[in-house]
Amino acid sequence: MNPLLQHDQQLLARIGLAQIKARERARQGRQFRLALRFMAPALLLVTALLLLPVLYNIWLSFTQWQLFEGRDEFAGWENYHQLWSSPYFDDALGNTALWVVASVLFPLTAGLGLALLFRQMPGQEWFKSIIFLPRILAPTAVGVMWYYVYAPQGMLNQMLGQFTSMPVETGWLFEEQLVTPAIILTFVWQSCGLVMVLLLLGLAALPRDPLDAARMDGARPWQVFRHITLPLLAPTLLMVVILSVLAGFTVFDLLWVMGANYPQQRTLSLAVFMYFEAFQKNSWAFAAATAVVIGGVVLAVTWLQTLLQARVDRMVR
Amino acid sequence: MIRPALLRFALLAGCLFSTAIQAKEVQLFNDKGFWSAPLQAVANAARTDGISLKISPYANAEQYKTFIQASVASGRTPELFTWWTGASLNTLAATGQLAPLDALWKEMEADGRFQPGVKELFSVGGQPYAVPLQLSRWVVLYDKRVFARLGLKPPSNWAELQTVAARIKAAGQTPFLATTQDGWRGFIWFQELLLRTDPKAYVGLNNGSVAYDSPAVRKVFSIWADMYAKGWFSDPRSNEEINDFVRGKGVMYLFGDWAVGLLGKAGFPLKELGVFILPNAPGVQQPAIIVEGAPIVVSRKGAANPDVMKTLRFWVSNQGAQTWGKASGNYIGNNKIAAPNAIVSQVNAQLAQTRHAMFLRWWEGVPTALQGEMVAEFNRFMLKPDMNTTQNVMQRMQSLNAAYWSKRKKS
Repeated sequence: MNPLLQHDQQLLARIGLAQIKARERARQGRQFRLALRFMAPALLLVTALLLLPVLYNIWLSFTQWQLFEGRDEFAGWENYHQLWSSPYFDDALGNTALWVVASVLFPLTAGLGLALLFRQMPGQEWFKSIIFLPRILAPTAVGVMWYYVYAPQGMLNQMLGQFTSMPVETGWLFEEQLVTPAIILTFVWQSCGLVMVLLLLGLAALPRDPLDAARMDGARPWQVFRHITLPLLAPTLLMVVILSVLAGFTVFDLLWVMGANYPQQRTLSLAVFMYFEAFQKNSWAFAAATAVVIGGVVLAVTWLQTLLQARVDRMVR
Repeated sequence: MIRPALLRFALLAGCLFSTAIQAKEVQLFNDKGFWSAPLQAVANAARTDGISLKISPYANAEQYKTFIQASVASGRTPELFTWWTGASLNTLAATGQLAPLDALWKEMEADGRFQPGVKELFSVGGQPYAVPLQLSRWVVLYDKRVFARLGLKPPSNWAELQTVAARIKAAGQTPFLATTQDGWRGFIWFQELLLRTDPKAYVGLNNGSVAYDSPAVRKVFSIWADMYAKGWFSDPRSNEEINDFVRGKGVMYLFGDWAVGLLGKAGFPLKELGVFILPNAPGVQQPAIIVEGAPIVVSRKGAANPDVMKTLRFWVSNQGAQTWGKASGNYIGNNKIAAPNAIVSQVNAQLAQTRHAMFLRWWEGVPTALQGEMVAEFNRFMLKPDMNTTQNVMQRMQSLNAAYWSKRKKS
């Protein structure tokens, strides 16, 4: 052993290392108990309202919970096997993936474009207010409004009819290939205002020096944007991405209202699929298994985002 | 000192006495928020009989079902509540928490208020567990003005039905109004065509003995697709079915007779509304009609409460049924009172003239777990009524049906 370290240990032994350690442990114990007392109400609430229901849901997904009787016989993986063999689950999963990608890509692109456009435009406040306006409407109201825009005799078909000089009666919300893109468009229309505002705030908070320095060094606008603005804006962009991903996973209202007459409404997303199983078919245990799968996917995506967040933080520092 | 004490005693005694003679409040839980006003009208009328009825509606059917299921599972079933007939009632009765209502039905039938046959719709295994909140017959409503203009009469057989439809189409109008509105209407024409072509298969379909890709079902889809090919149906994508009838987008409208009130409200002149029962296809003899019954059920605890049973007796009484009929336009099967509208009256007369076998709607007959997925398939067919879709729809329906019944057999 290193003689210096040996000496230190001998010294500590003389002054009572064990005693110091015990005292430190007692102090930490006291602090922990005090903290626990302060945290108790929150812990109690989180346990009662979040952890226990989640655990119960996981348990339910392994049972054959029966209507009325509530019989919870253990069924192993049966509900999960049933899930994979359901003719609707694959479509619901595929559409959810599409929603997650689309709800990140389109609002972000549109929001960023609008934010850059309005940043220095005269009278920007008016434009920003108009674009943000759909955000303050309830999704159900937006859904009803757009349902009629997309109706066979609706505004969109009438406009297309005038443009093509031919009667157009496309059932935007009835065709398998069109229904999801049509509802996504409504979602983008409603959500890009918020993304724009968040990005405008991010842009306003950017330090001026690196931008001015780049310009003085002769960088072109695109180069400034690509190599300076975008990296500096990364934390805001990441926050927007996280919000958009969660919105993509949890979107329900628009699909419920706008897809009401689409025959395969349950395939529009995993959330709608789960709702149908639980509340229309009363297959509670099966719906619980669906919820566990959704939860698992969201957790995995959130974990990836956390890793990404740490990387972006390091990059910005 | 004595006088205030006496006064207090008198007041207390008065309060206790008034509470003793006042009936306890009875709550009617339901998911019929759209009928809150007519239900309240019945509650107001019941007050004169010393009944205190409180209407407790739930905003939507899913929330309501969950509430009832949770209540039953925890042994706290409400005393009085509305439910659904058919498979849903069977499941609820199987919990053993519903009270049989034999004695009440005996009274209802003894004085001729209710015809024999109605009780069966509200029974499980021959035992009645409910009284009607509503009893609706599925009939064809038609615009008399168009019929008069084209010199048509309501069809009395299958061939006449075809002729009537062809004549209307030839005159440039759409014979039948049918949409997928609200996602549940897809079964309407399927159930009717199956009943008219093969009543045995209609029954077999709902107990798992007939497959959804059987020849009987195949034949129905073939007739249905043929009617679509002839252009006899309106655009299924419309979300304004009632208004479409008022606008003349379809001349005949196959629906429950409860739609009469909605048509009146939408501005259709009810004196121009005619009704007929869809005729049978050749080879099917027994006249039949599809009925829809909404039940009011009583829990065992409720049956032991005299106030609940008094409320229920008032509901099926002439006064109760009359008030409900006037306020809502609904018929509950009580024939001692005037029908709530001319259409119901005409249907009653026709049924009194010829004995019709009553069949529960497909929606109530099919197992609850299959309802939504199956009806979605019917809707899919209506939106694209070609041979490819038909084949695909039948295959998927049968795969769902087979999976359900095999799982049920196992359990």
